[in-house]
Amino acid sequence: MKRRSMIAALCALAFAATACGASTAGGDGELKGQSADIIGTWSGEEQVRFEKVLAAFSRKTGAQVRYTGAGDELPTVVQTRVSGGTPPSVALVAQPGFAAQLAKSGAIKPVSAEVEEAVGDNYAPIWKTLGSFDKKLYGVYFKVANKSTVWYNRKAFEDASLSVEQPASWEKFLETSRALADAGVPAVSVAGADGWTLTDWFENVYLRSAGAENYDKLAKHELSWTDPSVRVALQELAKLFGDQRLIEGGASGALQTEFPKSVTNVFGEPRKAAMVFEGDFVSGVINSSTKTVVGGDATFFSFPSVNGSAPAVVTGGDMAVQFKDDEVTNELMKFLASPEAGSVWAAEGGFLSASKGIEPASYPDDVTRELAQRILDAGDNVRFDLSDLTPAAFGGSKGTGMWKALQDFLADPKKIDETMERLETAAVKAYAP
Amino acid sequence: MTTVLSHEKREVRVVDVPVTGSPKRGPLTRFVSNLGNGAVQVGLAVVAVFWLMPVFGLLVASLRSEQANTASGWWTIFTKPAELTLQNYAELAGNETIWRSFLNTVYIAVPSTFLVVVISALAAYALAWIEFPGRDWLTVTVVGLLVMPIQVALIPVAKLFGALDLFGTIAGVVLFHVAFGLPFAVFLLRNFFTGIPVDLVEAARMDGATEWVVFRRVILPIAKPALASLTIFQFLWVWNDLLVALVFADQDSAPITVALRSQLRQFGANIDLLSTGAFLSMAVPLVVFLAFQKYFVQGVLAGSTK
Amino acid sequence: MTHALRGRRSVAEPGRSPGKAVLFLLPALLILGALVVYPLVYSLFRSFFDASGSRFVGLSNYVETFTDPRTLIAFRNNVIWVVVAPVAVTCLGLILAVLTERIRWATAFRLILFMPMAISLFASGIIFRLVYEEDPERGVVNAAMVGVHDVFASPSPYPGARPRSEFDASEDGYTGTATVSRGGVVSLPLVGYSRQQLPDSARPVSQPEAGGTEVRGAVWLDVSAGGRPGQIDPAELGLPGLTVELLRDGAVVSKTMTGDDGRFTFPDLGPGEFSVRLPADNFALPFRGLTWLGPTLVTPVIISSWIWIMTGFAITFIAAGLSAIPRDALEAARVDGATEWQVFKRVTVPLLAPVLLTVFVTLVINVLKIFELVFVIAPGSVQEEANVLALQMWQVSFGSGGDQGVGSALAIILFLLVAPAMLYNIRRFRRERS
Repeated sequence: MKRRSMIAALCALAFAATACGASTAGGDGELKGQSADIIGTWSGEEQVRFEKVLAAFSRKTGAQVRYTGAGDELPTVVQTRVSGGTPPSVALVAQPGFAAQLAKSGAIKPVSAEVEEAVGDNYAPIWKTLGSFDKKLYGVYFKVANKSTVWYNRKAFEDASLSVEQPASWEKFLETSRALADAGVPAVSVAGADGWTLTDWFENVYLRSAGAENYDKLAKHELSWTDPSVRVALQELAKLFGDQRLIEGGASGALQTEFPKSVTNVFGEPRKAAMVFEGDFVSGVINSSTKTVVGGDATFFSFPSVNGSAPAVVTGGDMAVQFKDDEVTNELMKFLASPEAGSVWAAEGGFLSASKGIEPASYPDDVTRELAQRILDAGDNVRFDLSDLTPAAFGGSKGTGMWKALQDFLADPKKIDETMERLETAAVKAYAP
Repeated sequence: MTTVLSHEKREVRVVDVPVTGSPKRGPLTRFVSNLGNGAVQVGLAVVAVFWLMPVFGLLVASLRSEQANTASGWWTIFTKPAELTLQNYAELAGNETIWRSFLNTVYIAVPSTFLVVVISALAAYALAWIEFPGRDWLTVTVVGLLVMPIQVALIPVAKLFGALDLFGTIAGVVLFHVAFGLPFAVFLLRNFFTGIPVDLVEAARMDGATEWVVFRRVILPIAKPALASLTIFQFLWVWNDLLVALVFADQDSAPITVALRSQLRQFGANIDLLSTGAFLSMAVPLVVFLAFQKYFVQGVLAGSTK
Repeated sequence: MTHALRGRRSVAEPGRSPGKAVLFLLPALLILGALVVYPLVYSLFRSFFDASGSRFVGLSNYVETFTDPRTLIAFRNNVIWVVVAPVAVTCLGLILAVLTERIRWATAFRLILFMPMAISLFASGIIFRLVYEEDPERGVVNAAMVGVHDVFASPSPYPGARPRSEFDASEDGYTGTATVSRGGVVSLPLVGYSRQQLPDSARPVSQPEAGGTEVRGAVWLDVSAGGRPGQIDPAELGLPGLTVELLRDGAVVSKTMTGDDGRFTFPDLGPGEFSVRLPADNFALPFRGLTWLGPTLVTPVIISSWIWIMTGFAITFIAAGLSAIPRDALEAARVDGATEWQVFKRVTVPLLAPVLLTVFVTLVINVLKIFELVFVIAPGSVQEEANVLALQMWQVSFGSGGDQGVGSALAIILFLLVAPAMLYNIRRFRRERS
């Protein structure tokens, strides 16, 4: 019977499958034969680059490390693995709130004394604070992002017959924007379809207008969202968002624009706007999706100072946390905290570190060097992305909380009071014990 | 039993005879009918074009670079055909992980599909044709499980798999797919089985056939079209699954969806990679569809040959 | 025909050995029990605990679910989905499945409609995100709309341009705030338009001289490197082909068009005060299509993409059902002189009813579980407007730092929502038997 043989074949296939599996050998070293696995969000080119970092570790120690890229589902994957009793050795977590939750449940372990020392030596104290929960250090910031950069296309300024002058103050920035609009170039492309870009706009203005102290309080919700300092920040923001000529596509167009599109609006063909604000990773999109050259026509200036504020940087970052306390995991954490690991990726590009130990020469070009330097220069004036510090239901979910409130603010920037009340209501609910 | 079936067999030839062929109709009716048939052809062609359009757009996107895709829509290739390139496919095809994951997907999808079809056919037969207390409630419960969202089960099943050492294995992934494929399969087959003429089953039972023989010789042959469609869709759902594989498979057992996803850039529309991956992974389900769809029309005929 | 009809109705009599049912059911029950029922029970318990899973909170997760305004929107959208989408797909599937029986390329047709199902939901979502993209350079729907629109309406010469100042904007256009009498000169500096887009014919502008019974003026693009606002600078170009109107007491008395250097003249004027207006059609923004993914249209748009995906599913099962229909039933009706429509209505549909119901119920459940499509297609800014229960459940329980308690409560609610549909389905079968 023909069918019988087919069934047999299927069964054979099913059994063959369980026997399959490949492994890559590590080099010679004291940890030869041991293995660790690590989960991160990176995929594509970034994954390839990170795997080079891991290969360096393997060469050094002989241990074998496997990387899994879980993307946006990283919290889901990690939570399920922990529940299933098979946690990874190390995970690179982008949300401090998630790491705090893991620390509270005892899923992750404090770092070893050696790692703590390395962090103390190479990082500004703020990074140690960010990685600590309940006074113990759990996380090492391996890769960071500079989220206080405005990227612009030189060509757009040339076409508008404007000299390329980097505006140092918010007033000057608005003035430049208006001049661009007069010349028929919408000044800024705002990625309003992605709520997180709007939170970054707000955070940068707030950090500058209200100061680091208020910023910290607001992140912990010790300060209400109806506080006058929030109003000031929204009023400043409304000067830009409220002028439809300055925004590519107007408010309704911006609300349909996702982050990658906002970058190609400025650096792709046809060019639709002159500037786009977001983090250093804008350069990655410029490279992959447009023909414009970073460092050539594409370059950046720091988010302008508001009312004479000192330089400050809003950052994001991936924090390495460990779920195991064995030798290979500790060694891996130590490696990730060392300048050695960072230098490997730094040389590949698309990477910034907050570690002072990484030589500026490690970075492949001036633009990247500059981006990294500004984080180091800001020292303890660095603040972590506020929305990532809040509960995810408030600061990290599509279509709700801070994202949605700011999207509705972008749609109608006159509604400042309403926006503040909405933010406060959502925050009260999200911070409830 | 045989009389009923042979009766059907005799008439089955009519399937291929168009309605217009009926001898009773005059030339005018035939003309109108032909016209109607022409309209049907045109109407279906229009529908087909509508359905193909997005797929075609996807195909073109897979043949253009990321830069070209972000700059303009796919229809611009009609004016700029020079932009077309096989680069995206070359890159994916040169990637060893992709091919290994392709095999993994087969290892996951084939047993999952096979087990779901067999297990659900057995259960559906009992629910449709064997009387036992609480049958209706059992049916409602099994089918009610259809609505159970996969995400809800992730953590409890993870605990279970952790205890059974099934985490990160293909067997675990297969089991999960089988469990979540069953409610629909049972629902579909039970409804199909209850529609089978009672005379057939009763006649067989009169002849002294055991339940197993009734199931095997009477029900299964008639249910071929339903079994074929179930196979197609179960295969498809497993083939395209990302979430279950992402959570329960490890790097070595990762299927194509997971491998393709690891190619994506963190930011960017990724349409070049997505479209290329979609076409690459679409090929197999289409082959399965073509292989099984012939049973749709064979169903009645097959029933009579046993 | 009647014989066949009666034969298909299942008047199931008890099988002879109920004990055997267990053997047939065992594998299914084991797997379902361990991997589906256990998690369901787990969820039920979990739904009474807080986010950390350690504190019993009674029904408060359910209360929270029902007091969240987003849930209400999700409910509303779910109702729209359930009412519209499964019926549409079932009907479409039925019609197409019946019609495909009459064409030679039925297999090809079914394959084409099956294709969308072979693409992962995520990729399908991305396709439709692009299909309905607002930018007509990338979204095919808006590209088609703009294409059709532009056949009938010619574009304005200077979209988006506006006077620098001293003008009142209204629907009719920009009217100067200052008045002019004959012999006077009007300067109309415009901004907000790119110099690169000016027509090649544009020539440098120069200051018109006053005099005679005429009103003279110039319209120019007041943008140049180091240029003074409102003043004519050497490098600045006139705007050719722009319509200018002369008004007295709000009524148009004369109309003219600018030359290549942007200058215009209104000749032979009588005494009195005039004002100058630049009509709005000079500056009308080009038609850009509709905002498909805006708050109002987003749900219908996502439903349309779901229809595109699921019709193949319906056709496949209905075609399978059709092939099981005894042909003599159809032929008998035809021989009796029934029209195709009557055959369809009186024979095909009743015989297909069980299959149609199966497909329909499956689609309803599929609709209730839908979330990837909404997540991918709806831009973040309208995600709340497009929200559905399953999506909310996903975000609540698995957003980073998610709340499994509330998520579980939502899952239980979803489960309870479907129970009536299931009961109805079973009752119907039971009624048929008795």
